[in-house]
Amino acid sequence: MKKETNIFLLLAGLFLAFYFLPITNSQFIEALLSGFALLHEYAREHVLTCLLPAFFIAGAIAVFIKKDFVLKYLGGQAKKYVSYPLASVSGSILAVCSCTILPLFAGIRKRGAGLGPAVTFLFSGPAINIAAIFLTISVLGIKIGLARICLAILLSIVVGISMQLIFREKIEEGKLFVEQSNQPTYSKAVVLLFMLVMVGVLVVNGLQINQAQKYVLMGLLIITTAVIALTKFQKATNKEWIKETWSFTKMLLPILFIGVFAAGFVMPFLPQEFIERIVGSNTIIGNIVASIFGAFMYFSTLTEIPILQALIAKGMSQGPALALLLAGPSLSLPNMLVVRRVLGNKKTAVYVLLVILYSSIAGLLFGGIIK
Amino acid sequence: MIIKILGSGCPNCQRLENNTKQAVKELNKQDVTVEHVRDIVKITEYGVMSTPALVIDETVKSSGRIPEADEIKGWLA
Repeated sequence: MKKETNIFLLLAGLFLAFYFLPITNSQFIEALLSGFALLHEYAREHVLTCLLPAFFIAGAIAVFIKKDFVLKYLGGQAKKYVSYPLASVSGSILAVCSCTILPLFAGIRKRGAGLGPAVTFLFSGPAINIAAIFLTISVLGIKIGLARICLAILLSIVVGISMQLIFREKIEEGKLFVEQSNQPTYSKAVVLLFMLVMVGVLVVNGLQINQAQKYVLMGLLIITTAVIALTKFQKATNKEWIKETWSFTKMLLPILFIGVFAAGFVMPFLPQEFIERIVGSNTIIGNIVASIFGAFMYFSTLTEIPILQALIAKGMSQGPALALLLAGPSLSLPNMLVVRRVLGNKKTAVYVLLVILYSSIAGLLFGGIIK
Repeated sequence: MIIKILGSGCPNCQRLENNTKQAVKELNKQDVTVEHVRDIVKITEYGVMSTPALVIDETVKSSGRIPEADEIKGWLA
């Protein structure tokens, strides 16, 4: 019954939307065109050359890097100089589904390496997303892209350590259920080469050489990837790889398309004067406002990039842009409310404040450096 | 027999629930209840790090993946 009600509401809603469509309003038409234009740009310039390889890489990471191996180093005996850096990069390895970030966080906190590394993981999980990093570089430029990944890793460690220092939680003893993986073991060298070749495709695409050379190089690298996969890996492994890649694609592309269209649609309405005034230059206020906005606003995976693209087009400066990029993906108001149920009000509030503080500082420094 | 699906409600967790219900139906088992635990605090009490997870009579059988109905049938027998 509920399903039928939902279908009815959807159809009724669509009908009303189409009925009241302001089709003669020139601003609306402009917004529509802007949305489609941005979709066209992404389809032409980013989907095949950036997103597709990134999805294949993400799929490979999901298959080849064993979770239980990583979790071992996030356990109670882990040394701090191992657990913090590992927590900051293993977000995309451990939490392939976003609903698992919280149980993983709770596990690392209470039965593993403790509050600090758990918070590092909590922040970095959404922030260090392979597809998001490469798309950032492709759309927004290499400087802010590299700054994003380096500072996201650094920030997650700093926020984690800060939380640990402020609250000094103890770890409990407890059973940890870690599923043994039954993947065949491949030589690390082969897997590393495999990944690097795929990353190579992305890197070549970003180089400033002529198109023909680019395509030849990329073609060669793609063939190499396929050869490695077919000769060195078992069929089951390759099937698993394609399955994971497809699962990422299915999950992220639709959201991205919607986000890109929405960002393009909204762009003509964005108040340029207002944006320039508040975040148009690398001021302290500008960076703080950007991080607060990023912290509370919900960004679906990858959608922070077209939104930022629209804001930058309307006058946002690089410093506040980075602050938004750092605070945006990992936090949102709904996310804060859920984290609150595990961390409690005080720790959640401190976590949010630390993220805003450090993102603002990072943005300020970046904005100052690239001048 | 009490079967619990641990997961906060994303599509993966729903798939695990569907596979479980299918396994129960195919084996025609009686006296089986299937619960879906969504509360994050309760989930962590099982020591599970990766959702979705399957718990049968308070023993964790799988975590962080979605076993097919056939595999679940093996645990139910």
